Amino acid sequence: MISVVEAAPVEQAPLAPRLSVVLIILTAISVAGFVLVSHLVTRYRANTKQIAWHLFQRGVADADAGNLVGALDEFRAALTYDPGNSQYQLSLARALRDSGRLSESQTYLLSLWERAPQDSTISLALARLAVRQHALDTAIRYYHNAIYGIWDRDADSNRRHTRLELIQFLLEENALPQAQAELLSLAQTLPPDPELHLQVAALFARAGDQPHALAEFRQVLHLDRRNHAALAGAGETAFQLRRYDLAQHFLKTAVETDSGDAPSQQLLGTVNLLLGSDPFRPRISDAERNRRLQAAFEQAGHRLQSCATSLELDLASPSANGLHDLSVQWNELKPKLRQLRSAGETDLPDIIMDLVSTIEQKTAQRCGPPKGMDLALSLISHQAEAE
Amino acid sequence: MADLPPSMPAPPPSAANGTPELSTLGRLSRITFSPRREEPFFLLLSIFIGIFSGLAVVCFRLAIDWTSLALLGPLPHSGALRLLGAPVVVGLLVAVLVRQVFPTIRGSGVNQTKAALYIYNGYIPLRSAVGKFICCALAIGSGQSLGPEDPSLQVGASIASALGRHLELSRERLRLLAPVGAAAGLAAAFNAPISAVLFVIEEVIGRWSAGILGAVVLAAVASVVIVRFFLGAEALFRIPVTAFVRPAELIAYTALGLVGGVACVLFAKGIGFLRPRLRALPGWTLYFQTAAAGLIIGLMGWLGAPQVMGAGYSFMDQAMHDQFTWKMLAILAALKILATTLSFSTGTPGGMFAPTLFVGAMLGGAVGGVERIFFPTLMGSTGTYALVGMGVLFAGFLRAPMTSVFMVLETSGNYAIILPVIVANTVAYVVSRSLQKTPILDLLTRQDGLVLPSLEEQRDEVILRVEDAMKPPPTVVLDADISIAEAEQRSQSLPHNVVLVQMQLGGWRSVSKADLARMVKEGKGDLTLGSVLPKQDLPYLYPDLSLDMALRHVNQVVLVPVVNRADLRKLEGVITRDDVLNRYQSADLMPEG
Repeated sequence: MISVVEAAPVEQAPLAPRLSVVLIILTAISVAGFVLVSHLVTRYRANTKQIAWHLFQRGVADADAGNLVGALDEFRAALTYDPGNSQYQLSLARALRDSGRLSESQTYLLSLWERAPQDSTISLALARLAVRQHALDTAIRYYHNAIYGIWDRDADSNRRHTRLELIQFLLEENALPQAQAELLSLAQTLPPDPELHLQVAALFARAGDQPHALAEFRQVLHLDRRNHAALAGAGETAFQLRRYDLAQHFLKTAVETDSGDAPSQQLLGTVNLLLGSDPFRPRISDAERNRRLQAAFEQAGHRLQSCATSLELDLASPSANGLHDLSVQWNELKPKLRQLRSAGETDLPDIIMDLVSTIEQKTAQRCGPPKGMDLALSLISHQAEAE
Repeated sequence: MADLPPSMPAPPPSAANGTPELSTLGRLSRITFSPRREEPFFLLLSIFIGIFSGLAVVCFRLAIDWTSLALLGPLPHSGALRLLGAPVVVGLLVAVLVRQVFPTIRGSGVNQTKAALYIYNGYIPLRSAVGKFICCALAIGSGQSLGPEDPSLQVGASIASALGRHLELSRERLRLLAPVGAAAGLAAAFNAPISAVLFVIEEVIGRWSAGILGAVVLAAVASVVIVRFFLGAEALFRIPVTAFVRPAELIAYTALGLVGGVACVLFAKGIGFLRPRLRALPGWTLYFQTAAAGLIIGLMGWLGAPQVMGAGYSFMDQAMHDQFTWKMLAILAALKILATTLSFSTGTPGGMFAPTLFVGAMLGGAVGGVERIFFPTLMGSTGTYALVGMGVLFAGFLRAPMTSVFMVLETSGNYAIILPVIVANTVAYVVSRSLQKTPILDLLTRQDGLVLPSLEEQRDEVILRVEDAMKPPPTVVLDADISIAEAEQRSQSLPHNVVLVQMQLGGWRSVSKADLARMVKEGKGDLTLGSVLPKQDLPYLYPDLSLDMALRHVNQVVLVPVVNRADLRKLEGVITRDDVLNRYQSADLMPEG
């Protein structure tokens, strides 16, 4: 039987043209479908973006109010309707981080970072996540990415604050060498802003880099010579550097600018005592030197006695271990003080101050830290040992 | 129509009356192709099928999202009215649509595509696609526990079938177009072309064929390109950082495979038990079954598990990122099995791919969580177990082991987990096969009253080969250069009436003993045997060829030589029609079980 299909060839057009027409029709249908679906998708996206934005705003409000559970739901829903939105992802990642879901937060942030590794905001969020995980190397890497990456606005300010945040983290992790290195980098790029220099000076001090801390405090004073915090900081730093003259200068000015600054006043008192008691200070007369030696010797004796009394010990008894020997030495040395007047006795000042130093050290160990004149003598001893 | 199962399409009009209606495209393209031109045209057509399927799937996904947004709201915890009301009201509407308007859309799209391939000459009515599109969008969008992949597959197949019919393609090509469209639809739904191609080859077509493979691949790629253009190239899930470190951890993944295999069996048996019983209830109840399932699922959502509603992809994503405790994951897996069993058994249109992946992700995460309690040193994260769990359920429930492995790799983009995936999937597949003989898709087909070829059974069938039926070489093989008289004399001792002759320049011919005797009697005894033989060589076989191949020759030739592949002059045996038939009669061809 001949089918309809087989009977028709006589009426058919040539093969190639008809195939072309079929392909043209299929292409036209494809294009029409493409246009239609494009229109639908565009409308759908516009609508869902609007829904997503609304959900995002609710999420932000919830997050600000501390309702992280609600915020998470809303950020997630927002992302369902606008999956590629980095702002939503970043907010969700932050909310996840703040609610302790660190691994999921990391996944979101990493996917964002892979899309835009130069984006400093994402790197900073990853760095903060690493801080939460106490991952020192990872945190440093992401902080550096953030510092050297691209910021949408206020690049210098954001870079500076990011580095400051990194330094704080390094100090908390007791990574002092890295913190000092970051501080040096930061100090070189600081604008002439007293507050910033003051902050950096304090961080230098925390990192144990007192010379740079003092330099930064001086930089502040160069910009604002009556800056009380800088004066106090510089005084304290100079004091720690045993530059007591300088410390006295800064502390004195600090107390002048703010008479209610008790710590500075106390420190100034110590410095004044120290400078007024130090027998080795240059440019003092022999008489003054001898007076100071005698005063130091007497103070050490008082300290020894008061310490023994507080411990209910009899210095005359050998059972007052340690202190008894010092008392014996002190008593043996006391008659020799008269020789200070003779010009030929050159070793006696050192012997006196050695004993004073030993007494201050021992009594500090047995009876607690020294105060006032005893503190001054103790510091003089340390300085002498250091020199 | 009345004789057909309710979920199967009516036969095509052209097949019914033998007079095809000519469409515009058909009139233009009704071409008697030469094979040289037909193949390129078929491949080109596959690209268009991919484009159309991709566009349709994009619209389908938008429709589901819109419906879900309108009915359930943007947040998962959207209140009792939405969670309970939407599935019930929409369930009633969907039931009416399925009963009154689209009666052919019940059931699995995979099986309907297979039916089109094996029964209906590639015919899938376009109405099925429209019905699937509308009803599935409503059902899934209202929270029914079903997925969009299976409907996408059928929409693609339906578009391909319609296009093939309009182009008046040959029956053979029309049959093949449905799987091509199915691959395109599935690839677009999963955004994973390799998995879709493998699934269609593994579960729908059942064989690798160069002719169809190119078309399937082109269609899948084209549809994925379209979907990615419109909806973005992001994978279905954000895959967590996964790493497989120590080989000893394979034991943990083996345990996941065991648990997953058992879960697959429970899942399949649940559907196998409930579906026929619900369908056997009075007809009027079918209007309320979908709504009842929706009410139960809505209650689950309202009571604290809204994750089981709908396809649940976003919650799979959360499971992979440690968002749930192992107890919650286990509860969600159990509830999802229950919810999907209810949704699917009530005849609600929708697919089981997404629920299968959901159950797998939750179960994987739960098993991983429990294992990490007892073995804290295990390196795999919950996300890794969830990811492997998805493949486990896919392998065990849908019985597509190859697809399951590639699906996990394709959706994760992480080759590091291939060993756990292979181990766990294989274990789940073996457990599932041993506890549930009939795969779920075959079970559904049989419940629908159809006998479609079971591709798993086909894979297990014993293949008979020529070597299983051939006889040893005859003791006497004649050379072409001997005389006819000598040949007649030497052939006397042979059992066959036909004697094989080896030609000097290679090749085999035969001559009957009666002909030899006749030629001797006619005085031709001195002639050489080669001079009187027919000019055409005998066909020959190799021992490893299938017995089906031998059948093509034994009817034309009495005695077929079986030769060595390395040396065509070396005779391995001979085979006759009786040998083939006897072997078939004695063979137990069915797989075990």
